[in-house]
Amino acid sequence: MQLAGKHLIHAAPAKVWAILMNKETLAHIVPGISGLEQTGDHSFKSTLDIKLGPVSGSFTGNLQLHDLQEPNAFTLKAQQNSKMGNANAAIAISLTPVGDNDTEVMFNGDVKLSGMLASLGNRVMGGVSNTLTKQFFSNLEKELEKTTAP
Amino acid sequence: MSTNGLIGRAVKRVEDKRFTTGHGNYTDDIILPQQTYAVFVRSQYAHAKIISVDTSAAKEMPGVIAIFTGADLAEVNGVPCGWQVNFKNGDTMKEPKHPLLVADKARHAGDAIAIVIAETKEQATDAAEAVMVEMEELPCVIDAAKAVQPGAPLVHDDVPDNKSFDWVLGNPIDEVNEAMSRAAHVTTLDFVNQRLVPNAIEPRSYNSSYDPASEKYTLYTSSQNPHLIRLLMCAFVLGIPEHKVRVVSPDVGGGFGSKIFHYTEEALLTWCSKKIGRPVKWTSERSESFLLDAHGRDHVTKAEMGFDAEGKILALRVKTYANLGAYLSTFSSCVPTYLHGTLLQGLYTTPKINVDVTAVFTHTTPVDAYRGAGRPEATYLLERLLDLAAHEMNVDPAELRFKNFIPPFDGVQQPGYQTQVALQYDSGNYEGVLKKGLDMLGYADVRRQQQEAAGNGKLLGVGFSTYIEACGIAPSAIVGALGCRAGLFESGQVRVQPTGKVSVYTGAHSHGQGHETTFAQVVADKLGINLEDVEVVHGDSEAVAFGMGTYGSRSLAVGGSAIIKSIDKIIEKGKKIAAHKLEASADDIEFASGRFTVKGTDKSVGFGEIALTAYVPHVYPKDLEPGLDFSSFYDPTNFTYPFGCHIAVVEVDKETGKVELKRFVAVDDVGNVINPMIVEGQIHGGLVQGIGQALFEGAEYDENGQLTNASYMDYCLPRADDLPMFETGSQVTPCPHNPLGVKGAGEAGTIGAAPAIVNAVIDALWSGGHKVKDLRMPLTSERVWHALQEVI
Repeated sequence: MQLAGKHLIHAAPAKVWAILMNKETLAHIVPGISGLEQTGDHSFKSTLDIKLGPVSGSFTGNLQLHDLQEPNAFTLKAQQNSKMGNANAAIAISLTPVGDNDTEVMFNGDVKLSGMLASLGNRVMGGVSNTLTKQFFSNLEKELEKTTAP
Repeated sequence: MSTNGLIGRAVKRVEDKRFTTGHGNYTDDIILPQQTYAVFVRSQYAHAKIISVDTSAAKEMPGVIAIFTGADLAEVNGVPCGWQVNFKNGDTMKEPKHPLLVADKARHAGDAIAIVIAETKEQATDAAEAVMVEMEELPCVIDAAKAVQPGAPLVHDDVPDNKSFDWVLGNPIDEVNEAMSRAAHVTTLDFVNQRLVPNAIEPRSYNSSYDPASEKYTLYTSSQNPHLIRLLMCAFVLGIPEHKVRVVSPDVGGGFGSKIFHYTEEALLTWCSKKIGRPVKWTSERSESFLLDAHGRDHVTKAEMGFDAEGKILALRVKTYANLGAYLSTFSSCVPTYLHGTLLQGLYTTPKINVDVTAVFTHTTPVDAYRGAGRPEATYLLERLLDLAAHEMNVDPAELRFKNFIPPFDGVQQPGYQTQVALQYDSGNYEGVLKKGLDMLGYADVRRQQQEAAGNGKLLGVGFSTYIEACGIAPSAIVGALGCRAGLFESGQVRVQPTGKVSVYTGAHSHGQGHETTFAQVVADKLGINLEDVEVVHGDSEAVAFGMGTYGSRSLAVGGSAIIKSIDKIIEKGKKIAAHKLEASADDIEFASGRFTVKGTDKSVGFGEIALTAYVPHVYPKDLEPGLDFSSFYDPTNFTYPFGCHIAVVEVDKETGKVELKRFVAVDDVGNVINPMIVEGQIHGGLVQGIGQALFEGAEYDENGQLTNASYMDYCLPRADDLPMFETGSQVTPCPHNPLGVKGAGEAGTIGAAPAIVNAVIDALWSGGHKVKDLRMPLTSERVWHALQEVI
């Protein structure tokens, strides 16, 4: 399944980058996260609890950040396993400055689903991923507000 | 000889009382003492290396009795294929092991990695989720034509190019090419006959137990052929003596072919039942049924048909890639070959035919016989070509058929028709069914409506399909010569009880066909007794002598013929008993309407009295054994060849591409008919499945080998409100080579229907100036809409 989109964030790329690279803030941004454990410089072990219609369950697996080009781009790789099936994602993310104090975050990648997620959930995955993406950016904006708050 | 008119009468089905009142007895209903329950750990990937399987945590879970993995079964054989096909060069087909549990690699999504057995199904489910499987996903290939390309991922490391075999039938290719070169017109069609999921209403279910005292196994299985399962499982998989295994198929809720095959779970549960010393039951979840019950069809084909200037067919050239899935299922190898290539004569006098088939492994669910099995693929190919050729040559599709039909022959006065593709048709009157179909349709009126519709902005189309099938499967010597590893005869025992009531034991198996009624009608009619005095017993290897089961529209043509042989023996013996009683010669006794009579006299004795005498033989012929109980085996001398004419009328919405099926006319000639209501029911059910393929159904894999529509939310089955009232008619051309003159009716509807619908939609599109050659089934609104936009 292709995953692509963009979102305008009211902060400079360096600031967005800092939040995304920080384990503590990352834990607040990724939707449904209930456990995040750093296992390397840019790799994590995660537990996600997702409750969206037929795609509900606990996912465990890895999150890794690759091809880091601070503060412009990186690739997020995720391998997540659950009773419902597995999800494997590789998503290229770019941060492009817009004006003085805005960033356009673009993402483009592929999510491979297997097991029941593929055979039962495929039809609704588009909707589920849209919801998760919205949550992600909304969480990111909340984090930015926190850091800019006096 | 009919004596009480039960043959040919629309008797209501006796089995429906228990089916409609909740008294059916299915495998999942059976709960044995000490019952345990199995759940499988299955591969989520289509192709993946198994790195490790850790069962330690799962084994500690509550209620868990045992967990087995592929490593535990290293010494156990896989399930066999029942039909050997050879490569063109004579080499034996590639037949890689189909293990009960995979130890090294998963080769399709759903491949079984471990079995978890627990006290309850819920406990087994929980424990299965605690089995830790580490896998490394590998590239996969889904499409048969792509799987033979260089560099395609291999399903089995020792099968190069993923080719199980290649195969050719018919006239030498040079002769076909020469005939094709003389053609005034050649119609060419590249098309896909898409993969279907069988969808029996009862999911597969098995319950196996082992008794250490008698060293006997009992397997309850939702199978179409319990004796065949016993043979395959005992002799080829587990190496256990056959007489120590009882296989019972109680009520079975539909099969459509998918319950013919010997599945890995049947053998594995039997193996486990001895290991743990308790009965083990597994019933498939619907999501497992989608992934595991052998799928149907899945051909990629290029077909060319050459015509002379008068529209006579000169030659047919066919190249097909048949998708076998990841393993060879029981009859998978014969479906695209001997049940497909052999039917490409159709109803036509085509003098030169060559069919070339490459059978290919892919990382998908195994493919095998599904209602019609090979014959729908052959019919689709021929009938699509005929209607398309008619459009291209601007002739009427019905006229084109009349021009090419094999003339009528009854197989008695006129000999059978020898085809170019191995078969000899038994009897046929092909123009008869088309004439009747055109009459029922009111063909001229419909063509007029088509023109009027075009004026009103609508597209109306008429599509034809005149099909033939090879049924009554099958003469053992012929199928043996073609590679079948079994005989395909049938057994039938008729046991007259002392009171004159009759028990009939048949090796055919009813899973919806109504044998308990039809077979009882035959026996009651022939013996001149009441229908309710006959009981039909089937599906138990310890009650029935032997049996090859039910598929290929064979039950009545083969199983019914075995019963007739036993009835003949009973009447012959009855005559001897009657002759003794009536003080006459047995040669002077005639039997009619349930009475044995001395010819030309009023001296007679009833069937019931003869039955009693046979078991209380006080006054009895000296050299005659007591009892009235005969068993027979019947091996047919030929296949039977039902045929028919299906005509669809559709309306296509020009704005949305939506197809509405307005009318469906079906004239089927299935030989003599025992119960017209049951035959019509079989035709209706078959039509719905054929229409389902044309308009609604299709298994959709994504590029990773995941079946993406594996539920009823996404896999579309036809419903009553999608269908018009069917207009069915019949013609009777008796089968000349079996005693009842019957040909079989189980598959006819499915075989004929799909091309009629697609042809009708294409006819509608041509009527609007959209000269489309092909539309891929199922004909969704989207596909038809695109055809309406792209081609003018």
